[in-house]
Amino acid sequence: MDFSPLSEALASKSYEKIADICDEIMLQVAAEGVSFQDDWPYAIHLLGHIYAGDINSMRFLWKSMPAAVKESQQEVQAAWKIGQKLWVRDYGGVYEAICGFDWSLEAQGLVAAFSDLYTKKMFQLLQSAYSTISIQDTALFLGMNEDDATSYVQQQGWIVDPASQMITVKKQPIITEQKLNPSKLQSLTEYVFHLEH
Amino acid sequence: MEALLANIQGLSSNAGDLSNLHIILKQAHDSLYAESIRLLPLLDQLDPSIHSLGYLYILESCSSGAFSKEQATTMVLPIARFINSCDKEQIRLAPDKFLSVCRRFKDHLMLLEAPLRGVAPMLTAIRKIQSSSEHLTSLHPEFLVLCLLSKCYKAGLSILDEDIFEVDQPKDLFLYCYYGGMICIGQKRFRKALELLHNVVTAPMSVINAIAVEAYKKYILVSLIHNGQFSTSLPKYTASVAQRNLKNFCQPYIELANSYSTGKIAEFETIAQKHREKFDNDNNLGLVKQAISSMYKRNIQRLTQTYLTLSLQDIANSVQLNSAKEAEMHVLQMIQDGEIFASINQKDGMVSFLEDPEQYKTCQMIDHIDSSIQRIMALSRKLTAMNENISCDPLFLGKVGRERQRFDFDDFDPVPQKFNI
Repeated sequence: MDFSPLSEALASKSYEKIADICDEIMLQVAAEGVSFQDDWPYAIHLLGHIYAGDINSMRFLWKSMPAAVKESQQEVQAAWKIGQKLWVRDYGGVYEAICGFDWSLEAQGLVAAFSDLYTKKMFQLLQSAYSTISIQDTALFLGMNEDDATSYVQQQGWIVDPASQMITVKKQPIITEQKLNPSKLQSLTEYVFHLEH
Repeated sequence: MEALLANIQGLSSNAGDLSNLHIILKQAHDSLYAESIRLLPLLDQLDPSIHSLGYLYILESCSSGAFSKEQATTMVLPIARFINSCDKEQIRLAPDKFLSVCRRFKDHLMLLEAPLRGVAPMLTAIRKIQSSSEHLTSLHPEFLVLCLLSKCYKAGLSILDEDIFEVDQPKDLFLYCYYGGMICIGQKRFRKALELLHNVVTAPMSVINAIAVEAYKKYILVSLIHNGQFSTSLPKYTASVAQRNLKNFCQPYIELANSYSTGKIAEFETIAQKHREKFDNDNNLGLVKQAISSMYKRNIQRLTQTYLTLSLQDIANSVQLNSAKEAEMHVLQMIQDGEIFASINQKDGMVSFLEDPEQYKTCQMIDHIDSSIQRIMALSRKLTAMNENISCDPLFLGKVGRERQRFDFDDFDPVPQKFNI
């Protein structure tokens, strides 16, 4: 088995590619009839799907694993636990699952990167879904203690009211590109031409 | 056999030689079949990438007949390697042989219970044999089955995004759409799943078939999950046997769909429980459960049409959730999935429902609309071309011509008869 594309991706921190690379290698070695199950990097593969936000594929990978691997490899179980928490949307539980295991050297970077990514996503979610939210919940969603969470959101311009333990969410105006380029005119002409013929 | 081997080795280089070789191989067909698996050692003397056509004939006769597990084991690898390295042009000279080898390949893998081994080769095989990405081959359904069995749903998605315009066998289309629907359901791409299953249900058929019945069951459930409603009326172009019979085969599902529309979760659950065994046997219990949880969402969505703001407790009460916190989590999930637009105010325990912020004027949206228009234009060009093709078809003209004659005869009967009183 040639894992060099995988190790390259891990080394260059291109974590979003990991799931695809693993899928590809797996199909190739399987086609050659190699029995790869015993030393397949299942934990990294699961984490790759988790990082890419593809919980469905992660679940199917887990289902296709041999029972022996599920039982014997602790890191695989730990990765699965993160996936489970994501699946049931236990927002706080995801961080517990991340911190609850001593990850191997290869997985460490990937897990840390996922954790950051997840925090960012959660921040975005809170921003879009809440107008006010308690400090306690904010800390839970961001996976931090309450002090860190307050200072994190204050940096983003949210207003903290210590008396009521509530945070007022400040929505960021979404800046989107609205300018059109002249080539659009060309395609509009084509549409009209199409309609008339 | 030595002579044949020499011919294969000698006549594989250019098109003229290949057509000669093809004739020789066709003549040798029966003797090859008689030898069957004993031919396997011969393959070592050929290079699959250069002598593809000859290799294919020998491989096909090797893999014919009944198989034991051991024999299947020895055959699988040579076939996989052949599919990978064979020359596209050469195998297209004998597409039937190639399809038959690939189908046997799948059968062997099923026997060995190793579907994963076939996923990559089968995809390669599709790419090599299909004339364009619009061409549905009989390997498409085989590939999707392997994906389903090996749980490589993601790999299956790669061919489902292509638009199909050309079909060899009706059964291919039925199976492709049915299995494709299942893959999309697994990946929670319900819109696409609905489209594929809809294709099965509305496809032309002269007698009702099991694929259509199973697809209809899933179609009902997915349509509840995705659209929150189900209508039993099928479009006009649906085959009349399907219009008349499908419902009769799926009574429990229709009953379920009817109770969904009342919005009463308890009632829906009772019916789900009543037919539980039936749903379980059909392997649709998972979808039924998803339909139940989609009901909560649907009921919350319905609230957004009536209220501008509502307390979490009121939401919990009207949607039959246990607590305000649970209602908050439901609303949050729906916001996360883009199913509603709302803002939760924890301080006052209120939710304000908002309008869809999309204003359809960003560049991204314009690109999206653009690509949709392009697709529709391509589709309309295709329809025109097809229409022109049909109107040039002698068979069609013959039929239309006859009908027109009759039409002429009735309407323009010698006029005097009517007026000569």
